[in-house]
Amino acid sequence: MSGPSPYSVDARSETDWGICVLTHTPLDVPQIIQSVGDPAAGATAVFIGTTRNSFKGRTVTRLDYQAFSKLAINTMSHILVDAVHQISRSDHHTSDNPVPSLIRCALHHRLGTVPVGEPSIVIAVSSPHRKEAFVACESILEQVKRKAQIWKREFYEGDREEDAEWKANE
Amino acid sequence: MSITPQHTTEITVLYFAGASTATGLSSQQIQLPAPPSEPFKLSQLSALLVSLHPATNISKVLETSQWSVDAEMVDDPNAVVLKGGEEVAIIPPVSGG
Repeated sequence: MSGPSPYSVDARSETDWGICVLTHTPLDVPQIIQSVGDPAAGATAVFIGTTRNSFKGRTVTRLDYQAFSKLAINTMSHILVDAVHQISRSDHHTSDNPVPSLIRCALHHRLGTVPVGEPSIVIAVSSPHRKEAFVACESILEQVKRKAQIWKREFYEGDREEDAEWKANE
Repeated sequence: MSITPQHTTEITVLYFAGASTATGLSSQQIQLPAPPSEPFKLSQLSALLVSLHPATNISKVLETSQWSVDAEMVDDPNAVVLKGGEEVAIIPPVSGG
């Protein structure tokens, strides 16, 4: 059996649009929310995805996440840029309005073993008004689930480790 | 007898998720067929990998996977020629979040 992939490592990318992180360290939700804080922000939308304890009636004992970090961190950065562009093209933002539609985005995904109940993904988006923050937060999540080169393996109670299944998002 | 430097015709294949479980590997150096009578397309790599890993379910994994070459996703594997030195990754359906 292969051990942990040497290509699934911690990674970080910071741009004007926000920060993306892949980490084996437990996600610090208050710190992530704080990182998008800004006096110009009237809203912060946060999504926290946690590992669930069951799948189709079977008891999940743990989940392992693996990434192709070099590629996934680029994909995650592009997702943030796309979200910012999508929002700034929306009706709420006109050329005579100099206030940015989004202030900061933070996208953190955990790697390695994530025990049941702990966050595997945290997304925080701040904006002047709530709607843009909600829309961007959801859009970032859906794109990550579709595109980011990250994989989840679910371990069930009573199963052999080697039978644990790699999942695929819909 | 001429000695060809190996690195010129070798690629590195990265295995993730189901591809890694199937082969028991996270990466592998693979020799491209020599002599390269015609360009070796990325789309030909599946058959080569299946032949290197008989009695595994790697072919099933490859059916649903995409490729990346040097950390860029590939749209059309028929349009990419491997020359050696590339880092090619099998990208199974993702499941982050």
